Amino acid sequence: MSDETMSARDVIMQRLKEKKSPQEGAYPLPPVVTLGDQDASPERFEASLALMGGRMLPLQDGEGIEQAIKRAFPELRNLCTAVPEVEGTLRIEDLETHEQADKVDVMVVRAAFGVAETGGVFLSEVELKDHLADVHLAQHLIVLLSKDELVGNMHNAYQQRSEFRTAGYGVLMSGPSATADIQGVLIRGAQGVRSLSVIWA
Amino acid sequence: MSNRPVPHAKLAAEFLEDEPHRHFHDERLWDMRQKRDEQMHIMPEWQELREQASRLKEHTLAHLPQYLEQFEENARRNGIHVHWARDGAEHNRIVEKILKDHGHSSIIKSKSMITDECEMREYLEPKGVSVTETDLGERIQQLDNQLPSHVVVPAVQKLTTDVAKTFAKYYNTDPNIDDPHALAEAQRNAARPVLLSGDTGMTGGNFLVAETGSFVVCTNEGNADLSANLPNLHIATLGIERLVPRMADLGVFIRLLSRSALGSPITQYTTHFRRPKKGGEMHVILVDNGRSERLGMDDFWTSLKCIRCGACMNTCPVYRRSGGQSYGSVYSGPIGAIIDPTFNARKFSTLPFASTMNGSCTNVCPVKIDIHEQLYKWRRVLAERHEIPFVKREIMKMAGRLLAQPTMYRLAISGTEVALKTMPRFVLYNYLNPWGKHRELPHPVKETFHSWYKKNRLNRTKAQHEETQA
Repeated sequence: MSDETMSARDVIMQRLKEKKSPQEGAYPLPPVVTLGDQDASPERFEASLALMGGRMLPLQDGEGIEQAIKRAFPELRNLCTAVPEVEGTLRIEDLETHEQADKVDVMVVRAAFGVAETGGVFLSEVELKDHLADVHLAQHLIVLLSKDELVGNMHNAYQQRSEFRTAGYGVLMSGPSATADIQGVLIRGAQGVRSLSVIWA
Repeated sequence: MSNRPVPHAKLAAEFLEDEPHRHFHDERLWDMRQKRDEQMHIMPEWQELREQASRLKEHTLAHLPQYLEQFEENARRNGIHVHWARDGAEHNRIVEKILKDHGHSSIIKSKSMITDECEMREYLEPKGVSVTETDLGERIQQLDNQLPSHVVVPAVQKLTTDVAKTFAKYYNTDPNIDDPHALAEAQRNAARPVLLSGDTGMTGGNFLVAETGSFVVCTNEGNADLSANLPNLHIATLGIERLVPRMADLGVFIRLLSRSALGSPITQYTTHFRRPKKGGEMHVILVDNGRSERLGMDDFWTSLKCIRCGACMNTCPVYRRSGGQSYGSVYSGPIGAIIDPTFNARKFSTLPFASTMNGSCTNVCPVKIDIHEQLYKWRRVLAERHEIPFVKREIMKMAGRLLAQPTMYRLAISGTEVALKTMPRFVLYNYLNPWGKHRELPHPVKETFHSWYKKNRLNRTKAQHEETQA
C-alpha cells in the first residue's frame, strides 16, 4: 500500500516497525524500582510543603476548621466548600457557572492523599465533585488532609495509590500556582490559586 | 520556511552586545543549574534514577509500536479520541477539523513545544481561529512574535523592562513597571476572561502511560489545568516518543524532571488525565513529524529519550552566552542542536558547532543522552553531506593534513609563533579566521614544549632508557 491509501496510524506503525535501531531484544523492561527516602511522616510533608510555597494552617486550642479559615482570611466573603466539615457560604455542588467560581475567595477541599517527599496533595473529580476547573479559579485553597493518608515519595505514590488508575482527572498540587518567567523572580500565585494551606484533619 | 543555514554565531554576537541581557541570561541559567545540583546532592539515589530513566526510555523506544497500540487501546476504552499525525501539517488539519465539527474558534492553550514545532498557530490564525497562549513566558513570546527561547522558561532572554514594554502595548499597562509581580498580575488579569470564554482547551503533555491510557502534564502556573478543564473540549498533542510503559515508571521520571529543570522537587501541578470530564470531550493527537525516522538513525535515536527538562541548556556555556533566539529553531541549546538537524539538515547545519565539547550537557541529562557525542557525530555527518561552510571546511582539511604529519606540524607551529609575534592584526583577524572573531589568539610562547623537551629531556631520557635496558 502507498502512503496515500494507508491511514496515518498505519504509516507511522509501518515506519516504526521497519526501523533499524534500536533492536528489541537488546533493551529488556527494567523492573519497577522504589528508591530513596520513603519517610511518610507529617513532619517531612510539612517541610516539603513549605519548600513548594505552601503553608500549614494549624488549629488553635478549641478552634474549629471554619474558624481557623476565617482567622487566616479575615477579609473573606465567598467561602466555597467541598467538605462536610465546613459550611462556608456556598457548596461546590451549587456552583452553576465558572464565573461564579471566579469570585470565590477561598475554596476548601479534602485531598485523597498527600506525598511527604513533595508536599503534594491529590485531588480528583471525586474530591472536587466534578468541578475540575473551579478549584483552580478560586483565589485561595485550603486542603484538609489526614495524617493517615500520607505516602513517602513518588515511587510509593504511583505504586500504592489506586487513584492513579481510577480517577479521570487527578492533580497533585504541590503548593500554590507559581511562575518565574519574568527575569527569574519567583512569584507564588500565578494563574491558579494564590495560596495553598493544609489543615491536618 | 527559509532553508538558509541559521547564522548562529552572528545572532549570538548580537545577543552579546547588550551587557545587562547577556549578564542576566548567563546568571539566571547558571542559577537553575546550581539549584539542580543542590537537589542531586541530597539524593544518594540520583545516579540510579538516571540509569533507570535511561533504561526505561530505551526499552520503550525499542518497543514503541507495541506500547503505542497499548496506549491507544486503553485511551479509547477510557473514552478518549486518539488521532495520529504523520507530520505537523497533518496535526494542524486534525485540530482544524475537530474545531470545525464543534463550530469552535477560540483556543486557550498551555505551553507545548510540539504545537510550536507543528507551527500550529501560524496555520490556524489565518483561518480565523484565535489561539491564546496562557503560560506567562509563552504568552510574552507570542506577543513579541518570537519562538520560545528555552524549553522550560520560554522568555528567559528578556528582562523585566522588555516585558513591561510588551505588556504596555497589548495590555495597556504602564510601560515603566519594574516589578515582575505587577506584570505577572497583569497577565493573570488579562488571561482570566480569555480562559473563561475560550471554547477549546489545548495542552501538550510530558508522558503517555501505555498501561492506563493516561497522559501527564507537568506545569507550574495553573494555566494548563484551567485551559484543559474550563471548556468542554480538550485537545492534547504529544509526540509518539512520550510513552512510558507503566504507571509506576512515572515515579522515576517525575522525581527527575523538575529537579533537573528548575531544581524544585516537583512541578506545582502534576496532572493526570485518564478520561474526559463529565459532559466533556477529550482528544489526544499522537505526532510523528520525523520521530520514526530519527528512531532509525543508529547514532541519533537516543535523542528521543529527551524529557524536555532543559538541564543541558542551563549548563551549556555556549547557550548561556548566545541565547535561545540565536538557534533560530523551536528547540535550542544542546538538545536542539542534535534534534534540529533531523528536521532540516541544511537550515540547522550550524547548530552542532555551537558547542565547546565540554560534555556538561551529557553529565546533567536525567535520561543519559550522550549529547556531546551526538554533537560530534552530527559535525561528521554534516561535513560528509557538505553542509558546512567553505572556509570552515577548507581550514579543517588543511588542519587535518597538518596534524597528520609531525614535521610539517612543527614547522607550522614555529611559523605561527613568529606570525603571532610579528604580524599586524588585520592579517591575523580576518574572515579566514572565524575563530578569532570574538576571541584573542593565544599569546605566542617563548618556547614550545617540543623544543624544550628536545633540549632538556630527550637525551637524558634516552640515556636512562638505555641504562635500564642494559
